[in-house]
Amino acid sequence: MTKSANVTLLEILDRVLDKGVVISGDMVISVADVDLIYLGLKVLLSSVETMEQLRGSPFAGPMQEAR
Amino acid sequence: MIAHAIVETDSPDEFAEQIQKSQDAHPARIDANPENVEKGLAKLVLTLIELIRQLLEKQAIRRVEAGSLSEEEVERVGETLMKLENKMAQLKELLGLKDEDLNLNLGPLGDLM
Amino acid sequence: MKLYLYGIVDSSNQIEEAIYGLRGCGVYSIPYRDIGVVVSEMGQATQGLTEGGVLEHEAVVEKLMADFTVLPMRFRTLVDGRDNLLAMMQSYYRDFKGSLERLRNKSEFGVKVIWPADKVKENIVNRLRSDQTEASGPRRSAGTRFMKEKFERYKIDEEFQTKADQFIKAMDMFLGKFAVEKRLETLKTEKLLLDAAYLVEKSQACDFREAFWHIKSAHPGFKFLLSGPWPAYNFVGLSKHDPARDAEQANLFAEVARSQALVGAGSV
Repeated sequence: MTKSANVTLLEILDRVLDKGVVISGDMVISVADVDLIYLGLKVLLSSVETMEQLRGSPFAGPMQEAR
Repeated sequence: MIAHAIVETDSPDEFAEQIQKSQDAHPARIDANPENVEKGLAKLVLTLIELIRQLLEKQAIRRVEAGSLSEEEVERVGETLMKLENKMAQLKELLGLKDEDLNLNLGPLGDLM
Repeated sequence: MKLYLYGIVDSSNQIEEAIYGLRGCGVYSIPYRDIGVVVSEMGQATQGLTEGGVLEHEAVVEKLMADFTVLPMRFRTLVDGRDNLLAMMQSYYRDFKGSLERLRNKSEFGVKVIWPADKVKENIVNRLRSDQTEASGPRRSAGTRFMKEKFERYKIDEEFQTKADQFIKAMDMFLGKFAVEKRLETLKTEKLLLDAAYLVEKSQACDFREAFWHIKSAHPGFKFLLSGPWPAYNFVGLSKHDPARDAEQANLFAEVARSQALVGAGSV
């Protein structure tokens, strides 16, 4: 690939992969950043919830069953 | 193939390099694949620790700038921050994580750090 | 039948030109009220939508740009069946309409600037070193030296950022005059001073380009890149109107906030 074609491709990728309209809904199949961010937030939530449960127990420790 | 959009520059290579660099520096998307969840959680925890470490460091520097720390305090704070930084470096190496891995992309809000 | 989406156009007319998109499939417009959604058929296999498809996607959007106002879709958007597509159009109609109005007769231009970061840093370091007085007193120990180093680096970074902002402000003042909207990213890397997208009226495109060349000649040590006209990828600015999603999002953020408060309230 010629040098200038390389930079053109990068310019296109930057727009088409990361920008543009993103639609959501049950009928939409798309790999958009937004979905992955929500997944990331959910992971954060579940790890915080686990902490919550451990803290709630007066004998919190690795041997205890959470809940 | 491309009808209208044109890219004009005298330095295509340098821009290609910098664009590639900026894309690489962007943190990897969080992978909710169950097999990777553990590593993902470790990454998440370390990211938060790194955030706090950076905040503490900035706080300390501001106080040094304002001259509100005694010589002793500067020495003590500096030593603690140094230990913290070294600890983080060890943990990163242990888990095979790079600086760019310890970040969170908050979509429209940009990166966490 | 899965439908691959290229973009939304401001017309319910059919596309006159024969356009071929991903996998060589014919591209056509499905009207909805006074707008349309441009698609091609995907068939079963949705894997293998590689980045090669990006060029095909972009080529289609560019062809559309010649005849319509286009809201370009992000790559890899598929909808399962015509019924779902029309439901989607119904739910987004107002948003699409609004954005089409906003983008009519405008194109996006990209401006990137590389600056001599090393030289700028060198100047800053030299200036800061000459300002410093020698640290008096006994040799400092590890903690103090650490702080001193950090402080110096902080000062250098701060100056670096300030210098960058100054240059960007001056450039943007020129370019922004001909732009209706803009989106700037500063210091994306140390060398990449500016990565900007400007939304420019077609009638002002010439003036904008002239402003660009003017700035270029005013900064001989810098490197410049101008790209465009693009479909307005950076300016589609939709608020996603999916009530279920909005509610879920609101719940999610409320929960995170609650958890944050918990973490903060505990002893750390």
